[in-house]
Amino acid sequence: MSSIIEAKNLTKIYRRGREEIQALKNVDFNVNEGEFVSIVGPSGSGKTALLNVLGFLDTPTVGSLRLNGLETKELKERELVKLRRDNIGFVFQQFYLMPTLTARENIDLPLLFSRKEGKKDRIDEILQMVGLEERGDHLPGQLSGGEMQRVAIGRALVNDPKIILADEPTGNLDSATSQMIFELFNELNRKGLTLIVVTHNLDLASHAQKIYTLMDGQIVGCRELS
Amino acid sequence: MNYFTLAAKNLLRRRGRTVLTVLGVAIAITVLFSLLSLNSGYEKELNKEVNSLGVHILAVPKGCPYEAASLIIHGGVIPKYLTSTDLKNVSSIEGVGLATPMLMHQFIRRDAKTGQDVAHVAYGIEIDAIRELKPWWKIQGRFFNNNETNVMIIGRGLADRYNLTVGATQADGPLANFTIVGILERTGDQDDQFHYLPLAEAQRVFHKEGLITTIGVKVKDISKIATVSAEMEKIPDIQVVTMTQVLGTIMNLAGSAKSLLLTVIAIALIISAFGIINTLLMSVNERTREFGMMKAIGASGLDIGKMVLIETVFITLSGGVIGTISAIVGSSLIEGFVKGILPYSPRGSLVSASPELIAFALGFSLVLGLICGLYPAFKSSRLTPMEAIRGGIE
Repeated sequence: MSSIIEAKNLTKIYRRGREEIQALKNVDFNVNEGEFVSIVGPSGSGKTALLNVLGFLDTPTVGSLRLNGLETKELKERELVKLRRDNIGFVFQQFYLMPTLTARENIDLPLLFSRKEGKKDRIDEILQMVGLEERGDHLPGQLSGGEMQRVAIGRALVNDPKIILADEPTGNLDSATSQMIFELFNELNRKGLTLIVVTHNLDLASHAQKIYTLMDGQIVGCRELS
Repeated sequence: MNYFTLAAKNLLRRRGRTVLTVLGVAIAITVLFSLLSLNSGYEKELNKEVNSLGVHILAVPKGCPYEAASLIIHGGVIPKYLTSTDLKNVSSIEGVGLATPMLMHQFIRRDAKTGQDVAHVAYGIEIDAIRELKPWWKIQGRFFNNNETNVMIIGRGLADRYNLTVGATQADGPLANFTIVGILERTGDQDDQFHYLPLAEAQRVFHKEGLITTIGVKVKDISKIATVSAEMEKIPDIQVVTMTQVLGTIMNLAGSAKSLLLTVIAIALIISAFGIINTLLMSVNERTREFGMMKAIGASGLDIGKMVLIETVFITLSGGVIGTISAIVGSSLIEGFVKGILPYSPRGSLVSASPELIAFALGFSLVLGLICGLYPAFKSSRLTPMEAIRGGIE
């Protein structure tokens, strides 16, 4: 199986005043196409930093990152935007839905930025995929937490990405709802999507095929599940 | 989904703030629009009023030119006089087509209804000359002859105010026993407010035998006004006022008042611009995380800057539309206010709202939006997605 993400020697250093924070230390990390990977670890272990670097939201201080074999280190912001737009779907802990837009419009939003025509059928298809056929015209304020996160997942899917990156997607949800979200991830994975999910919930992490453990910016363990 | 609906929905999220910002812009645009429309209307009306004098050059006794300019237009007493010798001298100047003597006299008459003393102006004129100067004068009744006694014609304004009709006779005041033989049709200018008597009658009633206050001169060739007025200035005792000078004098006087108003408006606009920038920066800062999310789902910095800029233009343009409309609707109020401030203002409507002016006001509010939105848009577009999502802690 070919690597879709190939990271070598990733190091990320943040500065906060005079303090230097090493969020990632020489991380080597590979994800194959169609794989469902979860990353666990205590807070401050660098999970989010890793996810942001993998999603081109942030650039590594040192190290190389290949997407589908393409080295991304020297790419300009404009090229990174395109790379992100065409390959990556993001899901956040706080959902970050636009409160004035309906579920349907929120899902449609990435198409505005990628200058694609938002076809009604496509949005309907996605609403169905995330189980919200009946809720398309509701505003986020009228939806439950689980429904909001499913809208956010729908939004991540609309551009047909190859990889979904999710940062603590169930951090704000109760356990039953969290379970449902991970089942949705499994379903998407069965359709061939690559998923990288950061969580601190080990039970949920075991929905994945591989669990990486991160500690103090370093990968300290990798467990493969059957 | 497009950028316009997105921007509109963003603005509706903070309805109160948006409304207040729009109002701020609207007020600034109202003032700007009123002032500019006033400016063009003022000049137009003033020109009209001065032209309606029908006279190219006026000879008045030497005195203060400002006083002279104002009195010539609105009537009043210049407490100095010219004589028939002066008239003869003026008439003999080469290029003078018509020189007609006038005696302007102000008198007080008690208003029968209100019991208040009201100032009136009476003009002693030579009727043939005046009719040549003001060919547009039309009359109800008839014009008097120069040698008639106890007759007068009055302006329409006076007739309306005191319910006077042709044939009525004045009961009291200096013009007691004078019969109104004609009423001028409305001219729309100061002529509507005067009493006109044969010159000799005016001189008799006001005890100014042989005296005149003004000589109105019409030149044969308009391009010779400067030469003729230079000749007239050589006559001692008289001061020459050309209509361009009258216009210029009043314009100067009004100019200083207008530049004060312009300063006020400039300050209002600057304050409103800073208000807009501040509001936008605030909303940009509040939405840092949201912009981060947008970048994460594929927006470029340019996309976000564009959205912020559209929001700004929405605000200023709706402010511009509201401001322009309220300026047009409230023009009469503003006119009253400005007429109170300006040292001299014509009687007609001062506010003239041309399509060009409306286009300018709207264009201005658009440009204001572009200028005010530029920095917030630039700032928001430059956030890297990470900074944005972290809310700019790093």
